[in-house]
Amino acid sequence: MGAHISIPMYQRAVPQRYRLAGQKCLKCGKVNFPPKAVCKYCLTGAEFEEIQLSGRGIVYSYTVIAGGGAPPEFSEEARCKGKYPVVLVELEEGPRVIAQLVNPPAEGITIGMKVEAVFRKIYEEEGVIRYGFKFRPATSDS
Amino acid sequence: MEGVAIIGAGQTRYGDFPNKGVKELFAEAYLEMLQSVDQSLDPQMIQAAYIGCLSAGSGFQLGQLAPLLMGHVGLPNVNAVRIENACASGGFALYNAACAVASGKFDLVVAAGVEKMRDVSSSKGRYWLGVSGDTEYERLAGSTFAGIYALMAARYMHEYGLKREHLSMVAVKNHKHAVANPKAQFRKEITIEQAMNGVPVAHPFNVWDCSPTTDGAAVVLLCNAKIARNFTSKPVYLKGFGAASDYLAIHDRNSITRLAATRKAAAEAYKQAGIGPGDVNFAEVHDCFTIAEILAYGDLGFCEEGRAHYLLEEGVTQLNGKLPVNSSGGLKAKGHPIGATGCGMACEIFKQLRDEAKEPSRQIKNARFALSHNVGGSGGTAAVFIYQRGDE
Repeated sequence: MGAHISIPMYQRAVPQRYRLAGQKCLKCGKVNFPPKAVCKYCLTGAEFEEIQLSGRGIVYSYTVIAGGGAPPEFSEEARCKGKYPVVLVELEEGPRVIAQLVNPPAEGITIGMKVEAVFRKIYEEEGVIRYGFKFRPATSDS
Repeated sequence: MEGVAIIGAGQTRYGDFPNKGVKELFAEAYLEMLQSVDQSLDPQMIQAAYIGCLSAGSGFQLGQLAPLLMGHVGLPNVNAVRIENACASGGFALYNAACAVASGKFDLVVAAGVEKMRDVSSSKGRYWLGVSGDTEYERLAGSTFAGIYALMAARYMHEYGLKREHLSMVAVKNHKHAVANPKAQFRKEITIEQAMNGVPVAHPFNVWDCSPTTDGAAVVLLCNAKIARNFTSKPVYLKGFGAASDYLAIHDRNSITRLAATRKAAAEAYKQAGIGPGDVNFAEVHDCFTIAEILAYGDLGFCEEGRAHYLLEEGVTQLNGKLPVNSSGGLKAKGHPIGATGCGMACEIFKQLRDEAKEPSRQIKNARFALSHNVGGSGGTAAVFIYQRGDE
């Protein structure tokens, strides 16, 4: 099976995946992430200023993926771990993002819990390890 | 705008057919459709064909599938095109066919769908099934559609008090309905205990919350309503049809406890038909995962958002309830051959509104209006149709 996300395609999104680079609409001031050609809030602004997202947010919803729910490129991870949590996070700056949650709390994940972004290995494809952001429970109340 | 009628409908049984490819499946449904037309019809009168399909046998025929299939059934020269919107491919084929007839351009148009899903390994199947979502972010979080719908379910539970048991009630109901449907993939009942304790897939879902992989095809024949009675005394009128899109990615949507595409498509279809949700006698809705049927109740106006689980508790959507939903067994138990699903719903409604639902036990009586609802992926697209019986 061919690559699902090619190396060049991954490379083009490095600012988002490594640094959580968002775009602030110069027209309405709202923050888009991932990037859009036209602002998803005012639906007209097409000029943006790059801003660094804090990576801090709260869990808006969550799931725990078991083997049968994992895409084939994550099958090995599901096999090793048995299951892994995926969270939809509402960031302080407004946008929601989806990613895995590492070090989930023993008492279980709850909607509303505070999380922060961390840099992790995502998976490997075409012989290249792909890195990017995941989340972990917030280490402080900041 | 011209009126649109359905004068014929046919489908394969849904299931696992190692001896049939997309051509054989399509031909079987097409020939059953021709047989269902009451008066004789010269197939050469058919002018166009819109055929929904996601992957044409997981990629064996990437391009020009529609002329391949029409040539296989003796119509090599019609205006044939494949329509793709993931799981809503069939619904969008039907929508485009309906628009083609309504425009007055064509009088006789085929709307069809086909999918061959059982030829490939489970890992390749999961590959194909995930790449219609937001591949850059959702997929790289390690999620397929099961995980995305699971995020919707968890939020719905948090906001509205939906319980795990309510999800299972959808699966139990739809399996029960499929028992009497000769076209269904899984014709067996399951218990609520079974449905609540299956192998985990994506919390809160287990395997009983998920529709299966399925081979199948469905074909309906649309006709200008003015000449429908030349072919049958029992046409079924397509009174309203709506379709809409939304952001593909769950993280781009304001609300994840409703599908904006369904709401917009439903509003368009109701307005065109001149009826409201209270006039619908029965419906086929898109239950790819159990939560999807629950979201559909609110999005189609059958209840207020957040109150769908009360419809389940009260049995309103059971076959003998006030508003039967998924009399066919739904995607859960009738099966979900991606591209065929939207047209398969039209086949079920065509039979029901003509009082031809084969097994008398599953015939819905005295129905006048019906609705079908087909969703692409996790709600990136949706199509909604309103049907009216024509023998009144």
